[in-house]
Amino acid sequence: MSDDAQRPGDALAPVIKEVGVPLDQRRAFELFTRRIGEWWPLATHSVEGDRALGCAFEERAGGRLYEIGPDGAEHTWGTVQTWDAPRGLTMTWHAGRGPEAAQLLEVTFTPSEQGTTVRLVHSGWEALGEEAAQERANYEPGWDYVLSFFTPIGA
Amino acid sequence: MRPPQAALAALADPTRRAVLERVRRAPRSVKEVADGLPVSRPAVSQHLAALKRAGLVSERRDGRRRVYRLDPAGLAPLRRYVEQLWDDVLAAYATAAEEQAGGN
Repeated sequence: MSDDAQRPGDALAPVIKEVGVPLDQRRAFELFTRRIGEWWPLATHSVEGDRALGCAFEERAGGRLYEIGPDGAEHTWGTVQTWDAPRGLTMTWHAGRGPEAAQLLEVTFTPSEQGTTVRLVHSGWEALGEEAAQERANYEPGWDYVLSFFTPIGA
Repeated sequence: MRPPQAALAALADPTRRAVLERVRRAPRSVKEVADGLPVSRPAVSQHLAALKRAGLVSERRDGRRRVYRLDPAGLAPLRRYVEQLWDDVLAAYATAAEEQAGGN
């Protein structure tokens, strides 16, 4: 996994991550999307924490990526903007927050000698401040709140 | 770590994020920031003051002008968090991919 910052020292630049996997492009895309519920670390990265039952993509532009809670309630993490299987997708990202705090996520799958290189670009992440401040009206959530992006306070 | 509430509150306002984006590209005076935004100069001044209190921008005197620039230190904890999130997620994905490849 490389930390491929475009402009070193630019604190607001998109966060870019890459990983190589030993699967062809189609299988790598399907594992990331249709089978996301098999590997996503729900216990640590979900709204409901270890009570979450799963997560799933609706595989089309306008579809959601959502989490299924223990009572069947769905938490939308973001909405697909472009669906270009098996080359990639773009989506909004506001897991644990309302859509007013939406950021942009782009995931691309490029064939490589070993299989496929998956590249993830998360831009506009500074909007994570949005809902935290609304919550401040009621209590002082502080940094812990934003760092619990997914995980409920106290979990 | 710097007290974070101020940084979060400062980032919560879309106009303030636009101001931050303006000074990110190059150090600018209040006037230069205001020229690119549909916001009055006094309002820009207030946004810059809030960003400065939050540790997100720094201010330097250049003759009679005050020039503001992005201070990366204020954003570092949030950026580190986002980096860690995707490191964790992609590590889990890669493990699943390797299991699938090994099982084929």
